[in-house]
Amino acid sequence: MDCVVTGGNVKVLAKAIHSLSRIGDELYLEPQEDGLTLRSVNSSRSAYACFLFAPLFFSRYAIPNGHGFRCKMAIKSVQAVFRSLASLEKTVEKCHIELDGDKNRLTFTLHCKHGLLKTHNLSFQDSESLQAVFDKDSSTNVLKAQPRVLADTVLNFPPSLEEVTVTVSDERVWFRNHVDQEAELSKAMLTELCLSSDEFDHFAVRAQTSVTFCLKELRGLLVFAESTGLPISMYFDEPGSPVVLSVTDSVLDGNFVLATLSDEPCVRQKNPQRAGTSPPPSDDFMNDELESCLIAMDNSMAPGPSVTEAVSAAPPRHAVSPPAKADPRRTTNSEPEEESGEEEEEEDPGRPPNKKFRSLFFGSVYPTGSPLSNRTMASQKVLASDSEDDT
Amino acid sequence: MPLSTQSQADEAQYVLVASLDNARNISNILKAITFKDHAIFNATPNGLKVTVEDSKCLQANAFIQADIFQEFTIKEDSVGFQVNLTVLLDCLTIFGGSTVPGVSTALRMCYMGYGHPLTLFLEEGGVVTVCKINTQEPEEPIDFDFCSSNVTNKVILQSESLKEAFSELDMTSEVLQVTMSPSQPYFRLSTFGNSGNAHYDYPKDSDMMELFQCTKTQTNRYKMSLLKPSTKALALSCKVSVRTDSRGFLSLQYLVRNDDGQICFVEYYCCPDEEVGED
Amino acid sequence: MKFRSKIIDIGCLNNFTRVVTTISKLTKTCVLRLTPDNLYFVLSGKVANGGVGMWCELSQANFFDEFQLEGVSVKANEVCLELAPENLSRALRTAQNAKAVKIKLTKKHCPCLTVAAELPTMSSMSRVVTHDIPVDVIPRRLWNDFQEPSMPDFDVSIYMPPLKIMKNVVDRMKNLSNFLVIEANMNGEMNLKIETDLVSVTTHFKDLGNPPWGGDGSQHSQGDQETMVQARVDVRKLQQFLMGQQFNPSKAMCNIVQNSILHLILLYEDVSLQYFIPAVA
Repeated sequence: MDCVVTGGNVKVLAKAIHSLSRIGDELYLEPQEDGLTLRSVNSSRSAYACFLFAPLFFSRYAIPNGHGFRCKMAIKSVQAVFRSLASLEKTVEKCHIELDGDKNRLTFTLHCKHGLLKTHNLSFQDSESLQAVFDKDSSTNVLKAQPRVLADTVLNFPPSLEEVTVTVSDERVWFRNHVDQEAELSKAMLTELCLSSDEFDHFAVRAQTSVTFCLKELRGLLVFAESTGLPISMYFDEPGSPVVLSVTDSVLDGNFVLATLSDEPCVRQKNPQRAGTSPPPSDDFMNDELESCLIAMDNSMAPGPSVTEAVSAAPPRHAVSPPAKADPRRTTNSEPEEESGEEEEEEDPGRPPNKKFRSLFFGSVYPTGSPLSNRTMASQKVLASDSEDDT
Repeated sequence: MPLSTQSQADEAQYVLVASLDNARNISNILKAITFKDHAIFNATPNGLKVTVEDSKCLQANAFIQADIFQEFTIKEDSVGFQVNLTVLLDCLTIFGGSTVPGVSTALRMCYMGYGHPLTLFLEEGGVVTVCKINTQEPEEPIDFDFCSSNVTNKVILQSESLKEAFSELDMTSEVLQVTMSPSQPYFRLSTFGNSGNAHYDYPKDSDMMELFQCTKTQTNRYKMSLLKPSTKALALSCKVSVRTDSRGFLSLQYLVRNDDGQICFVEYYCCPDEEVGED
Repeated sequence: MKFRSKIIDIGCLNNFTRVVTTISKLTKTCVLRLTPDNLYFVLSGKVANGGVGMWCELSQANFFDEFQLEGVSVKANEVCLELAPENLSRALRTAQNAKAVKIKLTKKHCPCLTVAAELPTMSSMSRVVTHDIPVDVIPRRLWNDFQEPSMPDFDVSIYMPPLKIMKNVVDRMKNLSNFLVIEANMNGEMNLKIETDLVSVTTHFKDLGNPPWGGDGSQHSQGDQETMVQARVDVRKLQQFLMGQQFNPSKAMCNIVQNSILHLILLYEDVSLQYFIPAVA
């Protein structure tokens, strides 16, 4: 890969990376024919974000021939390349991104004012493609607003607020802070904001509904949208199915997919299993403060990034995290057995996990012919440890 | 003079009296070397030199020439003492260290000699603060034996361009590697962090480069933790001179302009971390 | 119990917000007493809050365009609530350019003070934001704890220096010591002092003037005028008081009961704030 970004687009790229850093710890990078994709997913799999920068975004865009290259790296290290966001526009004239596959490193070179040259050589790991399965075009409800409208709305909520509930009717939208536990309810200040449809550039509500999702990621996207001046579109259906926040223009496309709270009364109740001394592994999620926000990963073997089937059409065989290269399991030769072994530990794959929040499912796609193909990680363990990390 | 409230008898006993109309002219430059509590003060008829050291590998000196002070009276050839620098700075900025033009803190600093406190009289807007800071016997500063005749490479840069680099340094890197060379990359700062390495290259013909005198390619590493405090000096300065000698010792000299446009110097010396092959 | 009120004037809204923000910087929770004429923010000087006491009094007519109150009974026409002033401050701050702000007592999931603001938008319709602030209604039998504190029998009373200067000095002294001695006399002089193993610092203020309290307050003989009365206090408590001040009072006074209490009084055009800091040994 060899691409060059110049002028104001350097800042756009930097802002995109910063907003992705609000999602997860790792940046998944994949140069494709139709542009460079940058993705991230959070540790509890409840949020996923993807930016696609079209070849026209770059002043030079050359990608390797043949099979797709994909890698991931610590997002912090990429953020560090663009650390001085404020001065970026004034100081950086050109950004050169180059891949050295032999040395396993990705080089960002910033050509700055006064001839200063900043070269960052970042190490990376090979990775599968990270792909969320969502279909925003079939969404029941679509709202589109200027970033200012949403930014002013979000300002009414305290920075510490984790989740927000959005309720729509034919002519209005309500934003409320979501308060989780009954106990907290008597202490927490409840804020509600009512916006009329007039404030939106596009307002298509086909079903009155109410969805609850994490505010952090919306804030992250807002930073990007405000700096680029792009309106944000919000696609959503019923509670439990993901909300998609999108920004788009002729050379870029950004989608943030966020799990929403399921309002099924049965899962609202305490699961008796949770009180048990040795809950099944998957129930470890329930210990997570953000138990609400769970996205399982599907290592569906469908080739390429075109996996966009709806959740119901492609029930997940596994909840799986992207394989960590360091995982010693990768070196074993008995994957098929391991896979089937894993499957037995799973709950019935045909039904969504019995969680307070319905899961989102990602297609986790391996490059065809890659040694990683047809390999499954000990998914539940990885996921369980993620949720422990969060506590 | 509102500060001249002391008796003549007291006045006669001081071995050192230094007055400033604007205490910021000393507090600012002391901030540039505040990374350890202990500071060695050495006053001579030429002025005041304040030294702070860390791990016998780093030394910072601030020089405030006698003519910066409105009054500088010294009764001996050399007067030395050691004080807690953080405490001194809190005292010097007791009124907030305002940067509002026309508002300044007047300072009178007096010392009676060994065993006595350093006494500060500060006045702003008619309010007077008297501070007595305990002193200790000064330790002998380390002699880094850095002489200009041994300097191999030297560049002078406008501080602006180095500030950016220092603010972006990868702090997961244990060392900062400095390469100076008569050929490419001329002047390079490198870090080696958890997620990769980074190089910042300054071409010799950059308009940020005021002087470029490199005779031999030299690459030396310095502990990041030692060099980080020098960022404070960099932030205050307008120009910086970077020099290395034949042993790989690093000298950073900062030219600092005070509120009244006068020039003071801050200097950092740092030992190299380890021998590095030249490549 | 009923309470509904409305602020339309933007200046009044700003002032009220500043008062509440000041209170929120002084304490996490306090009691809000509402009477037909006044609002009081009260913190009673109990051990639980480090002995610090606060009494802030506002005349409702200076802030509110509408103010309807039905208290507990005709005889006790008051409402007494405990709340987190930070919540009220935040709610008001989000409403700074509102066309109108309503504050009322509501029964939601729990008793709430509801702040509703009509915010301007770029479209023709305005936005409505409501904040439900949970409150605890204080039963009448406990009201005695939240009466106006009586004026301590002080040994000295003096006008304070400009609060900003005092804040700068106290901020630095806090870096150097945990305790500070404040002393003053009836000759308009006040000193702030700290002393540690490393350093002693004294800041001298003079010509501050002494308030004419009339009667006893000025009955000091000439010889007494120079005598310093002092209180040793926790620097953080004094710092917190100075930090909270959002705007300059028209009068700032300090009363000291020797080695017992530091009593600070700030008078604004339409607000008065009293603050009590206990002395420590």
